Parts: sequence; structure tokens; C-alpha cells
Amino acid sequence: MKVLVVDDEAPARERLAALLETLNQYTVCGSAANGVQAVRLAEETQPDIVLMDIRMPGMDGLEAARHLSQMDTPPAIIFVTAFEEHAIEAFETHAVGYLLKPVRGERLQSALEAASRPNRAQMGALGGTMGETSRSHICARVRGNLELIPVDQIHYFQADQKYVTVRHEGGEVLIEEPLKALEEEFVDSFLRIHRNALVSKHSFSGMEKNAQGCFEVVLKGSGERLEVSRRHVAEVRRFLKSL
Amino acid sequence: MTKGTPRGQAANNHYDGPGVFLPNFCASHTLFLVVLIAQLLAFILALARMPAPEGFWVALAFTSLFVQWVALGTVMVLCLARRALATLPPLRAAGAAWLIVLLVTVLFSLLALWVGAGLGLTTSLPMSEHLSFLGRTLSISAIVSAVALRYLYVQHQWKQNVEAEARSRIQALQARIRPHFLFNSMNTIASLTRSRPEAAEMAVEDLADLFRATLSDRDTLTLGEELELARRYVRIEALRLGERLQVKWQVDEALPMDYPMPGLVLQPLVENAIYHGIEPLTEGGVITIGLSLDDTRLMIKVTNPLAPPRDRRRPGNRIAQDNIRQRLELAYRGEASMDTSEQTDQYQVTLVLPRRNA
Repeated sequence: MKVLVVDDEAPARERLAALLETLNQYTVCGSAANGVQAVRLAEETQPDIVLMDIRMPGMDGLEAARHLSQMDTPPAIIFVTAFEEHAIEAFETHAVGYLLKPVRGERLQSALEAASRPNRAQMGALGGTMGETSRSHICARVRGNLELIPVDQIHYFQADQKYVTVRHEGGEVLIEEPLKALEEEFVDSFLRIHRNALVSKHSFSGMEKNAQGCFEVVLKGSGERLEVSRRHVAEVRRFLKSL
Repeated sequence: MTKGTPRGQAANNHYDGPGVFLPNFCASHTLFLVVLIAQLLAFILALARMPAPEGFWVALAFTSLFVQWVALGTVMVLCLARRALATLPPLRAAGAAWLIVLLVTVLFSLLALWVGAGLGLTTSLPMSEHLSFLGRTLSISAIVSAVALRYLYVQHQWKQNVEAEARSRIQALQARIRPHFLFNSMNTIASLTRSRPEAAEMAVEDLADLFRATLSDRDTLTLGEELELARRYVRIEALRLGERLQVKWQVDEALPMDYPMPGLVLQPLVENAIYHGIEPLTEGGVITIGLSLDDTRLMIKVTNPLAPPRDRRRPGNRIAQDNIRQRLELAYRGEASMDTSEQTDQYQVTLVLPRRNA
């Protein structure tokens, strides 16, 4: 069984690796220092189990677990935490494995043996425990692989029938999340300008009327233009004024 | 122990022993209150005697005269007996005070009867009337003084509870250690015992010293001890965070290392700097700890980088800062200050302490 170790503290990773070495049917296939690295390494090494610290800089363990659950064959996830009252309540009710630091060898062994793949409902419940915090990355599947796009590099989301196009600094990808949910999650950093479009507040450069008399938002950098529907004009204008 | 720490003050105020719930009867405001209450009592007694043959105002005048004499006499005796009463446990002190009131009452009752006889007002009354007068004044005095003593006792207890609560709150805050720090340190030590036993040993020693300081009830440490604690704390965190944590110490050579200050002020500031400044950053950063000095003041500055807003830790409820502010206020009475300043990517806490005559 391949195990991926994720923790932002080197001694904590070393300890888990050392404990795993004493158990012969497990091998460490990689170790990551934050959520982003964890998702990338999981893609690369296809672990069976991930030992995941919760509190990490950049992307935390809960978000990384959410992204990992979108993989074709998601690994089982065992959370490892020093002291995280709320998260532990969630684990207890949803029976996703968790361990407390410092981890005991026998506890690690029984958690590994019991490791089961978390189902969507469990991940949903864990998402709920994150409360109001929004994701730091959007996860998209590109030719079967997961691609993580930092939310602060996204210019806009544009809905088209079944998919949402995510336009970001490095290009664009399609995701299958409803625009409404994205709007609610990223209400602080994105603004709805049209029934089908959410634009990052960083990306606004201005608003202009086009030849047809419709308002359009001009984006920074690319100079790309997106139509503003009439009912959102006032809100966009207010936002541009507040800049 | 320096002057100005909460403990020092409590010790200086030696009237505040456990038994002393009686107010200072030598103080003029206590005297004024007693006179006021005595007058109210005289009113009630005069009203209760209506309709009196001599009329309300004359009855009030006589009653007031008598009650005030008793009250003032009691205050005088209690004032003189204050030191002796202060040494008694509460129940005995209350009993003694009560007896004093009764004695003074008897004395003035007899005096009143004697004066009345001299003026020819009470000669016609039989002996039984004299005794009943004495009985009535004694009973009234006994009941009223018992109620008053009970009131003073309850008020004193309430005051003590409020004070004890405030004290225990400060102690609880002092003892507050981020559980994350404790368990993460334990985890680090568990890991190091295999790979680097001597580093693990040092971490255990440092951790022990930190906890000893946190759990100790010494309010005051020297600046040197404070610096040492902060250094130990940084050493533990450095094991855990590795390259991510870089600390720049800017310590003035001329610092008076024996300068007494409230304990555990610097370490929590460094802890906050690491928790909010370094841990949320994937690449870590630099914390600057600066201690400097001028003619009248000692300045402590702790600076940490700030992560971009979405990566920041939830703002704490500022427990550590409030606690430090509270303790500086207790120790320096407004002569020390703590200010924070926030720029886009940097946060700084500045403490200014008076140098006094350290």
C-alpha cells in the first residue's frame, strides 16, 4: 500500500515516515508540505492512503481532501491533527479516520487498516465544518488529471449550458460547478455582472458602452470585454466607484 | 518584589486581612454615613411613637439627640479599637463590634436617665419605667447594629469575590497556552528522539522552562529572564518550522538585564508573531525582535510579516494582547504603553516601559 504523508512541519513528516517504516506492508510514496503539493503528488504517485495534516499554510488539509475526492480513484484520507476540536467532531460523526499528534504507532496501524475511501457525503460534511472559508483553489479535470487553479489567479467564471469556463492567468478550463454556488462561495472576491458571468474584483479595469448601447466590463491586462446585463449595471458602477 | 505588582500592593495594604470587613471608622466619610443613618433611624423611631404627648418635633429632637450620641460614641470606640479588631477573625470581630454598640447604648441610656432626673423630667417615673426604657433602647440598638454588621459583612464578601475573580482570571489567562503549541512541540520531540536525540533533549529542557514560567505564580521577572524565555521559545519553534522561521534579534548591549518587569510579556508577543506571521506563509518569513533603550524608556518591538488576507489565521480574540495590556496597567499605572501598527504586509507591536530607577 502506498501512503502519501502531508504535513507542513518536517519533523512531523519524518515521524510518520519512521512509524510507517516499522509496518511492513506500507511504503511512503511521497511527502508534501502543503495542500497544493499534496494534490499534485497524489496525481503523480496515485497513493492508496493519504495521511493529511489539517492546518497548513496555503491550502489546508480539509480543502486538499476535498480536491482529492474528485480524483478517478480517490485515496483514503486519514487526518492527522494536533488539536482541532471542531474538525474532530465532524470526523466522529462521519467516521473518516483521524489521528492526534503525537501519533502512536498502534493507532496509526489500526487507522491504516480501517482506512476507507471517504464518500461524497462525508466530504460534504467536512466542507461544512470549514464554515465560511472559501476554497483557495479551484480544481478542474483536464484529460483525466486534476489541475489546481489558485482562485486569486482567476479572471472570471462564465457559464455556458452545462459547464462553467474558468478563465485564469494560465488559460482556461471547464468545471461542472453551478455559477450560483461559486457566487455564494466567492462573494468577497467576485462580482456578478451578468446572468452567466462572475468577474474577479481584481480584474476590473473599467466599464464602457459599446456600439450597440450595451455596457461592457473591460478586464485588466487582456483588455477582454464582457457584457454587463442591465440589472447589474448599477452594482458594477457602485463597485468601480469604491475602488 | 517590586512595588507596583498586584501582589506587592496587596501586601502593602495590611488592613486588608481576611477578618477585616468593618470600614475605617476613623474616616470622615464613614462618620458622615453613620450620622446620616442614625438620623434616619431617629426619624423612624419618632414616627413610630406618634401620636406623642409632646408633639412630633419635640419627640424627634429628643430621639435624635439620644440616637446621635449613641452613634457617635460607638464610632469613636470602634475607631479606637480598630487595630485590635483587625486581628480578630470575622465572626469574633462582628461579635466584639456588636458588644461595643450595646455597651455604648447602655452607657448613654443611663446617662440620659440621669440627665433627665437632673432636669426634673423623669423623677416622677417609677423604677419599672426606667428599666423598660433601658430594655427598649438596648433591643433597638441590638437589632439595628446586627443588621448593619450583617450588611457590612456581606458587602465585604462580595468585594472579595469580585477581587478574587479578577485575580483568577488573570492567572487563567497567564496559564493559557495554545494547545497547538503544546501538542506540536510534543510531536516534534517524539520525532527528534529517533533522529537527533540531543536536539530532543534540549527541546524538552526548553519546554520545561517555558512551562515552569507559565505555571509559576511569580508576577515579576527580570528583563534577562524574559529574553531567555523568548529565546527558548524561538528555539522550540525553529525545530518545528525549520527554514521557514527566521528570527532577527536586535538587542541593545546596554540593556539593564536586571530590570524588573511583569513576566511573560515578550514570549506571548513572539508567539503571536509566529502564529499569525510565519505559520500561514508557505515560504515562511523573518520576525524581528528589537529591544532598545533611551534615557527614560525601554522599547520592545516585535515585527512579523503578514500573509495575504485570505491566508491569514482567523484573528484571535486578542486574549494575549489584552492580558499583557492589563498586566502592564497593573504594574506601571499608565506609565507603560502597548501599540500595534499594521501595514499591508507587516505587523508590529511596540511596548514602551518606563526605566524608573532600575
